[in-house]
Amino acid sequence: MAAARLTVVLVLALAARSSFIAAGPGADEKVPPTTPRVDFTRQIRPLLSDRCFRCHGPDASKRKAKLRLDVREGAFKTMGKGWAIVKPRDPEKSELIRRITTDDIEDMMPPPESNLSLTDAEKALLKRWIAEGADYRPHWSLAPVSASPQPTLHDGSVAANPIDGFVRARLDQEGLSPAPKASPEVLIRRLAFDLTGLPPSPAEIDAFLEDRAPGAYERLVDRYLGSPAYGERMAMDWLDLARYADTYGYQNDVERDMSPYRDWVIAAFTRNLPYDQFLTWQLAGDLLPHPTREQRIATAFNRLHRQTNEGGSIEDEFRTEYVVDRVNTFGMSMLGLTLECARCHDHRFDPITQRDYYSLFAFFNNIDESGLYSHFTNATPSPSLLLWPAGKDEEHRKIEARIHELESQLRAMSRTARKAFDARPTTTPAVPAPISHLAFDRVEGGKTPDAATGGNAELKDDPQRVIIAASRPLNAPPVRGPWDVSAYAMRFSGDNAVVHPGVRTFDRTDAFSLAVRLRPTEQQDRAVVLHQSRAWSDAGSRGFELTLDHGRVFFGLIHFWPGNAIAVRSLQPLPLNAWSSLTVTYDGSSRAGGIGIYLNGVRLATEVIRDHLYKDITYDRAAGDNVNEQPRLTIGARFRDSGFKNGLLDDLQIFDTALTPAEIAQADGAKPTAAEALDHFLVRQYQPYMSALGSLRELRVEENTLITRVPELMVMEEMRERRPAHRLERGAYDAPREIVPRDTPASLPPFPSNQPRNRLGLARWLTDRRNPLASRVAVNRIWRMHFGRGIVATQEDFGSQGRLPTHPELLDFLADRFMASGWDVKALHRLIVTSETFQQSSSATAALMARDPDNQLLARGPERRLVAESIRDSALAASGLLNPTIGGPSVKPYQPAGLWEQSGTGKTYKQDTGASLYRRSLYTFWRRTSPPPSMITFDAMSREVCTAKREVTTTPLQSLVLLNDPQFVEAARRLAETVMKQSPSDQAARTRAAFRALTGRLPDAAEAGILSRLFKEQQAIFAAHPDDAVKLLAVGESAASHEVQPADLAAMTSVVSAIMNFDEFVVMK
Amino acid sequence: MSCHKCVGALPAAGLSRRAVLNRVGMGLGGLAVANLINPSGLAAFGEGQDRGVLGGQFHLKPRAKRVIYLFMAGGPSQMETFDYKPILNQRNGEQLPDSVRQGQRLTGMSGNQSSLPLAGSQFRFEQHGAAGTWVSNLLPQTARIVDDLCIVRSMSTDAINHDPAITFFQSGSQIAGRPSMGAWIHYGLGSDNEDLPAFVVLITPGKVDQPLYARLWGSGFLPSQHQGVQFRSGKDAVLYLSNPEGVSRESRRLLLDRLKELQLHAAEQQGDAEVDARIAQYEMSYRMQASVPGVMDVSNETDETFDLYGKDSRTPGTFAANCLLARRLAEKGVKFVQLYHQGWDQHDNLPRDIERQCRETDQASAALIVDLKRRGLLDDTLVVWGGEFGRTSYSQGRLTATNYGRDHHPRCFSIWMAGGGVKPGLVYGATDDFSYNVAEHPVHVHDFHATLLYLLGIDHERLTYLYQGRRFRLTDVHGQVVKDLIA
Repeated sequence: MAAARLTVVLVLALAARSSFIAAGPGADEKVPPTTPRVDFTRQIRPLLSDRCFRCHGPDASKRKAKLRLDVREGAFKTMGKGWAIVKPRDPEKSELIRRITTDDIEDMMPPPESNLSLTDAEKALLKRWIAEGADYRPHWSLAPVSASPQPTLHDGSVAANPIDGFVRARLDQEGLSPAPKASPEVLIRRLAFDLTGLPPSPAEIDAFLEDRAPGAYERLVDRYLGSPAYGERMAMDWLDLARYADTYGYQNDVERDMSPYRDWVIAAFTRNLPYDQFLTWQLAGDLLPHPTREQRIATAFNRLHRQTNEGGSIEDEFRTEYVVDRVNTFGMSMLGLTLECARCHDHRFDPITQRDYYSLFAFFNNIDESGLYSHFTNATPSPSLLLWPAGKDEEHRKIEARIHELESQLRAMSRTARKAFDARPTTTPAVPAPISHLAFDRVEGGKTPDAATGGNAELKDDPQRVIIAASRPLNAPPVRGPWDVSAYAMRFSGDNAVVHPGVRTFDRTDAFSLAVRLRPTEQQDRAVVLHQSRAWSDAGSRGFELTLDHGRVFFGLIHFWPGNAIAVRSLQPLPLNAWSSLTVTYDGSSRAGGIGIYLNGVRLATEVIRDHLYKDITYDRAAGDNVNEQPRLTIGARFRDSGFKNGLLDDLQIFDTALTPAEIAQADGAKPTAAEALDHFLVRQYQPYMSALGSLRELRVEENTLITRVPELMVMEEMRERRPAHRLERGAYDAPREIVPRDTPASLPPFPSNQPRNRLGLARWLTDRRNPLASRVAVNRIWRMHFGRGIVATQEDFGSQGRLPTHPELLDFLADRFMASGWDVKALHRLIVTSETFQQSSSATAALMARDPDNQLLARGPERRLVAESIRDSALAASGLLNPTIGGPSVKPYQPAGLWEQSGTGKTYKQDTGASLYRRSLYTFWRRTSPPPSMITFDAMSREVCTAKREVTTTPLQSLVLLNDPQFVEAARRLAETVMKQSPSDQAARTRAAFRALTGRLPDAAEAGILSRLFKEQQAIFAAHPDDAVKLLAVGESAASHEVQPADLAAMTSVVSAIMNFDEFVVMK
Repeated sequence: MSCHKCVGALPAAGLSRRAVLNRVGMGLGGLAVANLINPSGLAAFGEGQDRGVLGGQFHLKPRAKRVIYLFMAGGPSQMETFDYKPILNQRNGEQLPDSVRQGQRLTGMSGNQSSLPLAGSQFRFEQHGAAGTWVSNLLPQTARIVDDLCIVRSMSTDAINHDPAITFFQSGSQIAGRPSMGAWIHYGLGSDNEDLPAFVVLITPGKVDQPLYARLWGSGFLPSQHQGVQFRSGKDAVLYLSNPEGVSRESRRLLLDRLKELQLHAAEQQGDAEVDARIAQYEMSYRMQASVPGVMDVSNETDETFDLYGKDSRTPGTFAANCLLARRLAEKGVKFVQLYHQGWDQHDNLPRDIERQCRETDQASAALIVDLKRRGLLDDTLVVWGGEFGRTSYSQGRLTATNYGRDHHPRCFSIWMAGGGVKPGLVYGATDDFSYNVAEHPVHVHDFHATLLYLLGIDHERLTYLYQGRRFRLTDVHGQVVKDLIA
């Protein structure tokens, strides 16, 4: 039994040892007797790559003696006096041979300190290669896919299924013959697990065994390919690559629901979305013309990387990490290349330069994202897609239409109201009364009074009250209007603050204004003047904020910075060491155009920094925000932000209306213009306008209520202005070097000239028929799903250090056919599983096992241990517990208590109840820093990074799971109940039924005997200890049947448990 | 087996192990099993024990056979423990000079503070031991054994936040997906015990602070049997260890006997070469059900021992109890015991909190050394104490007469080692007057890893694993063995 169970250690080891297979790192070289000439691709290039490229390969910075062996020109470089590095047909004049054979420590290659060496056989091989003429070719996987014709077999025939043709031709060469066809029981089980991840039910097995009509097997194939479980099984595999999980990863590892993406993957496979589109949608669905919701959801693939919210993290550092992760995942999942090696320096083995790396990086860095997600809110990091519940988006569109309608009515009114304006009684505009006014003239007991409310604001960490009268002559503006001349102001240190609990919370539909006098004394990159928010990056800046950005006035309303916010900034900075009377108004429109900034009564020229606010700026505990109350208006500083250092501030007034320009001018002693006067009239005096404004506000509140709780999904969305990409020295975020254009590596076909230089163009390049990698990688992956091992064993690396294909012509034939079929995945499965190669028995003679333990030659059928998900799903299915619901948020099945608590995040695993306990395992909640233990024990991945394949190990911990995990105990009991009810008195029949449900076949006489004895022994134990029987039957949430004797049921549960621990339950033969 | 074969490309090493297993008629799957636990059952087949990928052929003379690592998660302040800086007290409240900071980055937590006032430690330092080593009075018991310790005051790391820093310390890389230190050692050296995991993780529960992640003891790209196995106090010391309610040991034994018959029968029918390994897998799990509770059961420890570790040691799960457990695991030959104690992340209220932290850890840490020493285990057991980074010499938040906090500081911090071939009584390296930069004998995390492997007989450049075409190692492409630390 087989190789399926080997650890990867052995897989590699054995592969290397087999003489018929390509040499690889560490391979023992044996000269195949049937190959007279040395094969460069199989025998020489891997040696050069593994032992020489590190110093004489693609990485120019590490290249020693300016020698590179990975390209022909380098390897054949002449040296004078008739010598060359490699001199074809003349090993004696080849420097390479001299260096690898010399005893001189100085000259010896590889140098001793490299810890690398060549065996005598390898040296001889290199010599022979040169003597034979030194054939030299580029790396196989970068060459175009070329479809060879199907080989003719030694008897002159051509196989009906081309796969068999290629495999048989190779077996012929090796003098081996294929194994006989597997039994129908084995075949249906193999097919069911391969195509659905679930075992066949006894009824399905019966039906298949009884179907004697021609095409029975093909019909079965089509039925499985057509079942929704097929999509789930395919998704299970893809989710490791996509690093799909239910939490952000890193540190606090907060939950975020990305299940719409997972469900899209399932649906895409189920409906057989052509694979080129499957890739294109994920890379660039948002850039397709008129993208559908599904196409945009698919792009979440690029947002599944880990994210952090650890306090104090440097935003830029992590934003860089995210882009890097996208590039690496793209490389591994779609190109089969280890691009990440080129993050810090040119790739040591493959022709990928560091510049190439950042040229790819440039495709993925252009979204309006933050490097940190929010600790204090549950905001979805931007950019995101609103996931409207059915019908609600329609409702929302209607409200928006009514808002637009009212807004155009208001515009029209401003033209038609002229007559009324001219007829108005001429009065000086009275500035509305502030709802709050802090004059800072009195401080008592750490409090300062609010002249408007009669309440107090609180001084935190002692901001200083200073006399400012003396400083007024310096450059004080004239103080007029309602603003009192005050003798005092507040001076802030940058760390201390005034918090005002008496001011109401404003949301994004509220019109409000702030008027304040400021005197900055230092040039700061960033100074927080005042805000209504919990924190800066720790809260995604949720709320509103008035800051000085290099002295320029910045005002923003923010749900999550930067992608869900509006903000404007003045073009000019405030003067230092001078008083400025600053007024900010906001009209409740959620548009940057609704913000006005005024200096000394005059509107400032501003630029729009962000104009995309579509959710509220307040906090909502019920929606998952991590705060107990709305943050208070705070002046002078913010949590972990840069405060108003040594700044003076006075006379803060807050208005619950957008002050009109006329009012502001009036207050600051300026004269309003005619247009300002008209505006003022409309808003304050013209009833029809005022009433329409009231209706508008009601609609905005309605819209806000509707949209703010709509869930969102992180997706891709290009920024309008392209963010430049730099080469980063040593990969460090803070070491940007030259700007690089968006481009693909020079060693692969060129970027198509008719495609846009964006992710969509990149997807077109990837899926272009000339691209040698995408189809080979995809085909290899699907092959691996059926045979447990790819034609290229290193699914994660098709590069120079990866293993060579065992059947290169077959790989190319399939890749070519796959593309020609329109990337039809189901057709590819069908071709594979209907081959005789696939249908062979997996039994092997000892001789064949010894010769080909890994089944690389495919002289027998596939056999392997099931993946973690299938083991559990199989127990659920066989016991009848399985809940076949497809999709939706992840569920929390049984898990030992206390694991999450122990990790120190203060989070508790709240186990589900009822049917949610029994969903297929791909729906199990995946917490990256504490993944489900029973899954991890069976080699599932933590999903922190893209992983191309799982290794298979065998450990005692796995036995403990199968024997003791409540899920398996409960499943055993349920299956025991079922078979006992089916056969009320026939113990042998019960055992047969249970054995078949779990292994797909009937027990033979010996097995039946062993299990019968087991039942009797267990029955005796439980009959003697009835309490124990009751306890065992109580395991699991589902109630035990009362129709069966507890001792009998407990004993039968043990029998089923034994079968679940029998190899044939976890192994697919 | 040549050295190149052991350590160069992995396949060659794997090959040789397979050859060994084949020679003795051992099934293939047994390798993985044997890597986790080496059962006496397998001993009968030949080699007797799992010696990891090196096959017992050390690169260097091994000085330590095993490691107990007391990981102080969160980053203990060096200025309150081992790095005495009277100048900070003299200049308490003054701004951190720019000439000292040299423009180096700060975290976003204190980076925006308007001032960075130097904070002298509120705790007294005295000289202890023959070498007159300065130790804070927060650590009276550690001070008493200071002549057994090798204190490194010049550690530095790359990362400034917990997750990257602790991941870096445990795996040599800030990037997730790399094997942890214990996994590398398990992979290289295998196991010395009969029926316990070779790499055991102990965590003080209930210390909600900076979280710990499975990746810290994960196997990364190494096969998953190399990952650490967490032992927890309570019912199931190892996940799923106990039989289901109502299943007696007798019932389980019989079930396993029948299961073995089924497997043997199947092997006969189908020529299954792996059957021995699979049977061994189940036998090991059965033995673990006894051996793990056995090692967790401290009832046969003397009162004197409990007194040595402190009264907490009678309460399962406490740091003190875990230290005692670590000694018991070391006695059983467990190769790597990784113990975590959270709670050192003292951004504010440092004086109060560090006092409590030290109270929880001082006595038991010292007791572990004393206990190992008197049992003759200290010579070949390396004990390490330390966190993922140090803390700033300026105060995070307000500095008052009685209170201050300290932010993360990667540029210098202190750890100690003991036993296992390190020089006792040595204080190595120094920081500048402000405990801000390393002034003398810098020891980077990579150097620490190289040294740790060296003590175990491993050349850090030669314990490699081929993944994605590249030979990975714990020290990446860095690391210098700090020979000065070695006895």
